[in-house]
Amino acid sequence: MGLKCFVVIALALLAGCATPLPTAASKVMATGPIESLAIGPMRMARENGFLTVNTQLSNTDTDNRTLYYRYLWLGPEGFPVVEAESWKSLTLYAEQTSFLPAIAPVPQAVDFRLEINTP
Amino acid sequence: MLVRVSSLALSLLLIGGCAANHSPVLGSGNISYGDPKAVELVTNEFGSTDLQMIAESMTRSLAQSGVLKGRPVVQVYDVRNKTSEYIDTRDITTSIKTQLMRSGTARFASDNTDMQSQVDHLKLQNQSGLYKKSTVAKTGNMIAARYRLEGSISSIVKRSNDYKDVFYTFSLQLIDVESGLADWMDEKEIRKTTER
Repeated sequence: MGLKCFVVIALALLAGCATPLPTAASKVMATGPIESLAIGPMRMARENGFLTVNTQLSNTDTDNRTLYYRYLWLGPEGFPVVEAESWKSLTLYAEQTSFLPAIAPVPQAVDFRLEINTP
Repeated sequence: MLVRVSSLALSLLLIGGCAANHSPVLGSGNISYGDPKAVELVTNEFGSTDLQMIAESMTRSLAQSGVLKGRPVVQVYDVRNKTSEYIDTRDITTSIKTQLMRSGTARFASDNTDMQSQVDHLKLQNQSGLYKKSTVAKTGNMIAARYRLEGSISSIVKRSNDYKDVFYTFSLQLIDVESGLADWMDEKEIRKTTER
């Protein structure tokens, strides 16, 4: 009985602590149409005081694709807390799934946006 | 009379027409400002995007690692350039330093290139007799670094008739001055290929 209670409480606590996965639609800012690219789950956590993010991306095309991306880091009011970071290039092989990990540059960042450009 | 008025009006119109530039720009249209954060693919030599990617990646990895607890004092050493290219590695360390400073995770002691200026200025304040005694910075109060940050950049270049491939590896480590142990280390790999 004691063990059962412990498990129930532990599960309830874990559920309370887990950050709900943000939806891609609310976090992605596309600069133009996103072609042959599926944006999967996004993970957001705070590690050692810094916001960390990971986004799953899949190339739905049967050819390799290059895309450009960068993260924007936002404060509690929804405005950037630092200047935009540099654009990065990523090559996804045909039908490959990859991840875009990132760490916020300042502890003040509480939210993010992923800017994507598919040339 | 009519001819005079007409020619005057025409001149004014022409002058006005020439000066009808409403943008605050001076000079020819061949020059423009670009996005400093854009991906630069002009040549496959070390470029601005490489510098930005390295600095961003290293800074964030170090800041988030949790090693820099209590804003320790760090001394930055030059990054050794082991590539065959000329790379101003000072730009990389300055960028890393600036970003770490912005993140509020570390304080920086005068590094090896700034140390002479620091010592000279302390001597000037203390030995020249030019300054008001109460405002003079005392000697013996400089804060010693707890960590030193040093790294290197190397490259492997391969050429064929059709391709030129450059593979850069940038590595950085944070060493505890007292113990001599590396408390944090990370590396960033960059591949740039040109198809001829």
